[in-house]
Amino acid sequence: MSETKTSASTIGRQIINKYPDVQSQPLEDNKIELIVPGEKIRDVITMIDELLDDALPESAFGIDLENDQYNLIYIFWSYTNRILLQLRVALEGEKPEIDSVCDIFPGFEWHEREAREMFGIEFRNHPDPRLLLLPDELDGAYPMRKRFKTDQSRLQETGIKPPKPRPKPGGEDK
Amino acid sequence: MSPDILEDAMELWFGPQHVSAHGWAAKLTLVGDYVVECDPNAGYFHRSAEKVLEFKNFRQGALVLERMCMLEAFLAEYPYVAAVEKLAEIEVPERAKIMRTIMMELSRLHSVQFWWGQFNAELGFFTMALWPWVDREYTLDAFEELTGSRHTVSYASPGGVKYDFTDKVLTQINRAVNRFEDRLPKFRDMQMGSPTFRARTKDIGLYDVKQGLKWGLSGPPIKACGVPMDLRKDDPDPNLAYDMVDWEVPIIENSEHPGQSDALDRMEQRFKEAEVAVEIIKQLLPQLPDSGPIINPKARGKANRLPEGEAYGRVEGARGITTLWLKTQEKAQTAYRAKIRGPCIASYYALKDLVPGAKFADFIVIFGSLDPYPGWWDR
Amino acid sequence: MLQFDFFTWLAGIPDWIYGIIQWLFSIVSGIFYWIWGIIEYLWATVFLPANFFFLFRAILFPGLVFVILALIWAVWFTRKLWGRIQDRRGPVHLGKYGGLQLFADAIKLISKETIIPDNAKRWMFRLLPGLLLVVVLLPFAFIPWDTVSAVNGGWAIADLSVSLVLVFAFLTAVPVISLLAGWVSGSKYTLIGGFRAANNQFAAEIPMIISTVGAVFLARSLSLFDIAMAQTNVWFAILLPINLATFLLAAIASVGIFPFDAPVADSEIIFGWRTEYTGIHFTLTYFAEFAEQMLYSALIVALFLGGPNGLPFLPGPVNFIIKFLIVFFFFVLVSSSFQRLRQDQIVHYCWKYLLPLAMLNIIIVMLAVVYLPGLILPLLGVG
Repeated sequence: MSETKTSASTIGRQIINKYPDVQSQPLEDNKIELIVPGEKIRDVITMIDELLDDALPESAFGIDLENDQYNLIYIFWSYTNRILLQLRVALEGEKPEIDSVCDIFPGFEWHEREAREMFGIEFRNHPDPRLLLLPDELDGAYPMRKRFKTDQSRLQETGIKPPKPRPKPGGEDK
Repeated sequence: MSPDILEDAMELWFGPQHVSAHGWAAKLTLVGDYVVECDPNAGYFHRSAEKVLEFKNFRQGALVLERMCMLEAFLAEYPYVAAVEKLAEIEVPERAKIMRTIMMELSRLHSVQFWWGQFNAELGFFTMALWPWVDREYTLDAFEELTGSRHTVSYASPGGVKYDFTDKVLTQINRAVNRFEDRLPKFRDMQMGSPTFRARTKDIGLYDVKQGLKWGLSGPPIKACGVPMDLRKDDPDPNLAYDMVDWEVPIIENSEHPGQSDALDRMEQRFKEAEVAVEIIKQLLPQLPDSGPIINPKARGKANRLPEGEAYGRVEGARGITTLWLKTQEKAQTAYRAKIRGPCIASYYALKDLVPGAKFADFIVIFGSLDPYPGWWDR
Repeated sequence: MLQFDFFTWLAGIPDWIYGIIQWLFSIVSGIFYWIWGIIEYLWATVFLPANFFFLFRAILFPGLVFVILALIWAVWFTRKLWGRIQDRRGPVHLGKYGGLQLFADAIKLISKETIIPDNAKRWMFRLLPGLLLVVVLLPFAFIPWDTVSAVNGGWAIADLSVSLVLVFAFLTAVPVISLLAGWVSGSKYTLIGGFRAANNQFAAEIPMIISTVGAVFLARSLSLFDIAMAQTNVWFAILLPINLATFLLAAIASVGIFPFDAPVADSEIIFGWRTEYTGIHFTLTYFAEFAEQMLYSALIVALFLGGPNGLPFLPGPVNFIIKFLIVFFFFVLVSSSFQRLRQDQIVHYCWKYLLPLAMLNIIIVMLAVVYLPGLILPLLGVG
């Protein structure tokens, strides 16, 4: 573990000095957000691995901003330096692609699998691109996208009786 | 092992219907008694909580979260409430801070008692499985007196807490805590002094800190390596009362393999955690102000519609770092995106690397000591 | 043309009918007397004083019915004692102190559906649990319940000059039946459980049998009755304390209860070789486990604790039963205080610790008998 502490701004500055495409946005005192273009994600994460030797890969997930725009967020926590590092990647397209970072931080492997099945973001060179949480019939349905409607269209298949209509306020339902 | 041994390999599904697998499965490849490959399989417990959170308003969302892991119910719902409070900039009154902290430590105590009994039941030590569970009944009595429910406490609310500590609640908490403290030395003696227990858990499931961090392990499995990583000290939350108490991060002296932890260390570590939890509760109870609001009166209005933004609520759960990342749109009543990070993903993921090479009976010990709970990964 | 006199023929019909009735009557009375003869023969066989004496002992007390009732009592006792050790009470609802709980459980289990998996070999699957129970209950016939054997008017049932060997022959068959049961159940988990049971046998039976060799030396006979009778002056537990301990441990390992529970490890292999048995088959295997524990307790009492010798004012069987209760209590106590060991650790402990200790005590006894005859032999009551 590193004995000397660095601060989030130092790390941010070091990364931006090396990769000028990266932009930064401070969040709170020791937390920083970096906006990274998709092609540079492996380089930036390798650099984080070198700079912070006790970086914990906390989570990686996608966000569906509508109109085929996606954001992919990676969060790292270093406890000796008390730095929370959030990387944001903007992706777009029907099936966006990005490099996988599992070999650098193995803890992201299942996060990437889940992002793939829920949002449809393809991770290149991922060692195990199977479905993680979803049953087989939802393969390709990408449920966490905003256009996946959780309506009751398949209710007949389940055999559950549909709920009774709620009474309108102000009196009995005629 | 040479590759041609794999021709004798037997594929065994440590399936979802197994006494020790509480909702997950693993496909094991066995050669004789040794596990050669382990492929953990999640998804049997998937409840699409993140999608559900996009349809619940900000006071209901915590209830979805506490059902992710009922063993540490309050610790599970707290990140959501912390994120909402950050976005809406709600302050929490003093009495509520202390009550929250006491409840968190009680949940941690309950989680340790539950895991202790369950781990022993998996090892076949039924005597030691039931003894901590008797004490757990007293902790659950305290929960029931406070909130009316034993497991799904639904205690957190943005801006404070929902129920007040009455005298009966304080009596029950004191009873639970004192009973645990009285009986812990005897239990610890029976557990750690049992030669069969040491034979089963010594040097099983060794990993070191760097490996653990790369997997994403946090909480007791990392602290058992001798590393003082605790969010309560590293990332203190202004809405909790940990700074009013004089306490140290619970880590064990790991003299035999410093920097590494085996199953025995992880057991000892969880005893330490429970002891520190009890210490914190005992120091906080006298500091509870006699009267005062338990919830910020403006909280209800502010938590109705939140401004646009992103917030990240974190807590040191009983199993590790539990977080919730929240994104809202302007004047929305529900979350736009809520990402739940459970602490147990790393425990499952670590099985892929820890188990190959171990015997089949050790597989149970390894995952039991890592304390995985499928509710956190499958959500 | 023959003379056919119609009226003569008509007059002869009653005779003909009477003859047929006589014939039927003779058949019926013949059957009746035949059955009566069988009943008389059975009555004589059972209630002839000598035969009745023996059958009473073999079937009622201390024979089959007594052993089965003792088995039901043993399961109740185990559950209550485990309950108290685990800080709870055990069964309390049915009957005073939960005594009728076992009957309720037995009725419930017997009335459940027996499910036979597709992959199982059907007839072996059905046969093996019953065979297991029979094999475990048979050696109870050779336990010396009383100081006087049955032929001479006492309460012990039967005796052979090599009854110890016969008892062990039966007991050695038990893990083989477990292995077969795990194999024919057709599931990978049961197969693993069956292999572990065979491994347990490999580990534990040899120290167990060798532990009894000391008692055989001192009694100069392989018959259980003679071994029990040779302890009139001093119990072998005082002369062979290490063997008592190793026999107890090896017996626990051989039965397959904690801490040597690996064949039936219910959190690892979902009940091992017993997984697929339901209903009546499960009842038989469940009771077979407790019957084996009782059998080992009875063997310990007969081999090391003097059998029916004890307080002189109590009849033999009562002495035996008191000692049996104490030993059974120890069985349950030990098994509830330890957790399960891994299978290779079981083999390790049995072969590296129990076996040398058992042999050590035998060597000491052999040397004592040869070099200190003045000390040992009077204790045994032999000149």
